[in-house]
Amino acid sequence: MALAVFFVAAAMAVAGGVGVISFREPIRCVLSLVVVMIALSILFLLLSAQFVFVVQIIVYAGAVMVLFLFVIALLGPARETARGRLRFQPWLSALFALVFLGLLFTMLQGVQYRQPDKADLSVFGTVQSIGVGLFTQYLYPFELTSILLLTAAIGAIYLSRKETDDR
Amino acid sequence: MSTLDIGGSQLDTSWFLLLAAVLFTLGTVGVLVRRNPIVILICIELMLNAVNLTLVAFSRQLQNIEGQLFALMAMTVAAAEAVVGLAILVDIFRVRDVEDVDDLSELKG
Repeated sequence: MALAVFFVAAAMAVAGGVGVISFREPIRCVLSLVVVMIALSILFLLLSAQFVFVVQIIVYAGAVMVLFLFVIALLGPARETARGRLRFQPWLSALFALVFLGLLFTMLQGVQYRQPDKADLSVFGTVQSIGVGLFTQYLYPFELTSILLLTAAIGAIYLSRKETDDR
Repeated sequence: MSTLDIGGSQLDTSWFLLLAAVLFTLGTVGVLVRRNPIVILICIELMLNAVNLTLVAFSRQLQNIEGQLFALMAMTVAAAEAVVGLAILVDIFRVRDVEDVDDLSELKG
């Protein structure tokens, strides 16, 4: 059962990824990325990461993708029609992709898998275990993340404000 | 050694890692091939998602929660990056119409 779920989700993710890089209209690229994210959230659930699954659906497939859709709707549906300046760019990038994928595959062959520390899988990845980790050992990075989000919000407001004379 | 027992089925950690590698490569190709700046941002999001899958897969393999915490941090950074990148794009589009990232090459040496 889990095997079938894995292969269906993996096929969905790869198909969505191909869609992201091959659709002409940006809006279809965004919708393909939503497909990838939902497939990845299913894989997170398989890997017993319940909290990451929920965050992936709400924050990523929800908030970030809606932001992309808003911006595309704001800027108008620009299609890619003009040819690029480099004529061989697709072939060069295909060559690069093959070499890069071969490199990653070779690296994966050499991974030494350590035996797990035998944690209790019934609480692994729940809100409780995530919260304990986030608010005890990793409190400092967590607070830094909040500062990062505040900085990003202020920066976005500053960048997208209306030009006025009294600035 | 690297086999995961999930719901009675035997899955291998390397399958998840291989899928993440394929998705990351697709994102890289997108950044190289596409010329619409918004689509390039979307491809960067695809690459970040692939890395998140790697983190969560290793977290499950080692049965250590830190990988999932790091994946959450990566999601936060990705959200901040998307917000600031899209704000910059909106600002550029307000000044002029850009349909190709090559139109923005005035700063090259």
